[in-house]
Amino acid sequence: MSSSAVDTEAPDLLCHFDNVQGLVDAFTSVRWKRHQDAVIELSEHGIVLIVEESGCLQAKVYLQRELFIRYEYSAQARPRFGVSLGIFVDSLNTFSVPGRLSTIELKYPGPDMQLLLKTVDSLDACIYAEIRTRIPDTISWDYNFEPAGSSPLSFTVKSAALKEAIDDLEWPGSSVLIALQPSPPSVTFKAEGHGDLQVDFMYYANTDLLISFHCDQQVSYRYKYKFLRATTSNIPSSVIRENRGSKLTIGRGGLLKVQHLVSVGKPSTSHTHIDSAGYQQPSRIAFIEFFVKPEEDSPND
Amino acid sequence: MKFKAFLTDNGVNLLEKRFLPALDKMGKICHLYLTRDYVIFLHNLLNGDGIQSIAQFRKEALFDDYRISSQNDDRIAFTVDISLLHRAVRSSVSICSEFGNGPTANRLQIKLVKKLPLNCTQPMPFLTFETKGYKSAVIQDVPISKPMSRAQVLELQTALDMAQDLPQTLVQVPDLNQLQNFVDRMKNVGDLLNVSISKYGDLHVQISTGLITLGAEYRKLFVIGEQARAPAEDQNLSAQTRSTRAILRGDAQSVQVSVKHFAKSLQYHLAKPDCTFYGIAPQGACLTVIFQFFIPGSRQTDKSISLHCRLPVLDPGTS
Repeated sequence: MSSSAVDTEAPDLLCHFDNVQGLVDAFTSVRWKRHQDAVIELSEHGIVLIVEESGCLQAKVYLQRELFIRYEYSAQARPRFGVSLGIFVDSLNTFSVPGRLSTIELKYPGPDMQLLLKTVDSLDACIYAEIRTRIPDTISWDYNFEPAGSSPLSFTVKSAALKEAIDDLEWPGSSVLIALQPSPPSVTFKAEGHGDLQVDFMYYANTDLLISFHCDQQVSYRYKYKFLRATTSNIPSSVIRENRGSKLTIGRGGLLKVQHLVSVGKPSTSHTHIDSAGYQQPSRIAFIEFFVKPEEDSPND
Repeated sequence: MKFKAFLTDNGVNLLEKRFLPALDKMGKICHLYLTRDYVIFLHNLLNGDGIQSIAQFRKEALFDDYRISSQNDDRIAFTVDISLLHRAVRSSVSICSEFGNGPTANRLQIKLVKKLPLNCTQPMPFLTFETKGYKSAVIQDVPISKPMSRAQVLELQTALDMAQDLPQTLVQVPDLNQLQNFVDRMKNVGDLLNVSISKYGDLHVQISTGLITLGAEYRKLFVIGEQARAPAEDQNLSAQTRSTRAILRGDAQSVQVSVKHFAKSLQYHLAKPDCTFYGIAPQGACLTVIFQFFIPGSRQTDKSISLHCRLPVLDPGTS
C-alpha cells in the first residue's frame, strides 16, 4: 500500500530541458578526474551540482530554473543526493544527437531513489537512463566567500587567454603566484620551479584580453598548479571558442573564485523557436564557479 | 590452381569506396573464398569468438572474364590482409583514372600467382593487381596465405552453411548513423548490451551496471517474418516493462552481446547499405544483422550482393 502511495505522489523535481549538449558542456567543465563524485542540490530556484577535492578545490554549476522549459519542484526541504559525475555526464552525452535538439526530462527520485532521465520528443524512439544516487558526503569545508576588503579585488579576462596562460604555466612544475597591483593596473601569473615563467596581463595594454580590473591594494597569493589548472582545463573547446570572459576574484584569506559562463541556449542552427533576430536570452547561461584555496605559505594577506 | 579476373568499374567502386573500408573495420585479416559463382569475404568463421561477418558477391557484381580452376571443385580460399587489398585497389584506381581514356581503356586484372620474393628461397603466393597505363604497367602484389587445403575449405564451407540460419523476426533500423552515434557514446557507460526484439517491431537496447541503467527503445519498426500486433495496454508503459512483458508473452526475444561488437556491426554503414535489419537467431544463438542493397536507381534488392554478420551471444538470456 505504501509503495502505491509513493507512486502517486509528485516527485521532488520534474523538469524538461531542451539542449542536452549545453548540460554536457557545463558539467564537463567541472570534471577534472575520470572518477569523480558530485552532489546535486535541488531547490525552487534551480539545480546546483557541486564537486570537491581534498578540501582545497570546489566547483559549482548553477542551472537556474529559467533555463528549463518546464520546472516542477514539489519538495519540502532541499533534496541533496550524490551521483558519479562521470556516469552522469557520459549518460547525458548519449542523449545528445549531433545536429538535432532533443528535449529530455529529468525526474527525481525514482522508485529506488534514482535520478531518471528520458527523451520526451518522440513516441517511437526513446532513450532513458536511471542513475543510482547515494546519500551525499558532507562537504568538508564550506566555501564562505567573503570580500577581502571594502572594495573587491577582481579582474575579468577572456576565457581562452586565461586557459592558455594557465596551460603555459605548467612546465616550471611549481605552484603559481597570482599578483594584482593597482599601479600600473596589472595581473601577474608567475611560476618558479625548474625554470621561471611569468604571464602579465596589463590592463591598459590589453584591454581586449583583460576586460575589467578592480584592485586598490597590492596582493599576491600562491595556488597549487593542479587546482588552478582544474578551473580551466576541462572546459570544452566549443565553449572556449565562444570566448566569454572569466571573472577571478580574490576573497578574504586569498580564497580564489573563478567564474565562467557556459551557454546552454539553443545552437543557432535551431529552427524550432527563433527568437527575434536570433537574440539569445541572457538567462540561458549556466554559471560555473570554482573556489581554490591558496597555499598555506602565501606571501601576502 | 588458377584464378584470374578483371574487375569491372562497378566492382572497383563497390570494393574501393564501400566494402573494403567497411570490412577493414570488422578485422584486418579475413578469408577470401572464391568459387565458380561467388566471391566471399569471411571474418571469424573458423575461430569461435568475435563477430562473424559474411560478405558475398556474385562474380558478375565485381568481375568480368572470371576464370577459376582448382582440383577442389574450383574452389580457392586463403587469408588476406584487407588493408593491403584496399591499398592495392585504391592505387590501381588512381593509376587508371590518371591515364585512362574511358571506362574500358584500362582494365584492372587480378591474378593468383606464386613468386619468389627478394631474400627468400621459397616462392610465396600473392594476389597480383595489374593495371596497364598509357605507356606503363603497374603491378602490385598483395601477399596472401598459402591456399587452404581441401579439408580446410570444407571446414570453411560447413561454417558458412551453418551461418545462414535466419531469425524468425527481423526489424528494420531506420537510421543507422543515429544508432551508431548512440551506441558509440554508450560504450563509455558499460560493456554488456541487452538487445531485445519483439514481433511488434520494437528494438530495445540497454546497458545495466550497478550504477546506471541506460537504454534506447525504437518502436513501430518495419518487421519481416513473424509479427504480432502490439497490445494496447502496453502503450503507456516504460520501455523496460514493455519489453519484459513482451518476452513473458513469448512475443520477444532478448540476448546479451558485447557493446563493442554491436558498435562494430554498425560500422557497416560504411558499405552504404540501403536497409539494415536486426534479428535474434533461433534459440538465441546469435544476434544477426542483415544488410540489404538496392539495384541502383530502384528499390529492388540487389540479389548479387549479400552482407550479414552474427554477433556472439554472451549470455543465452531469455530465449
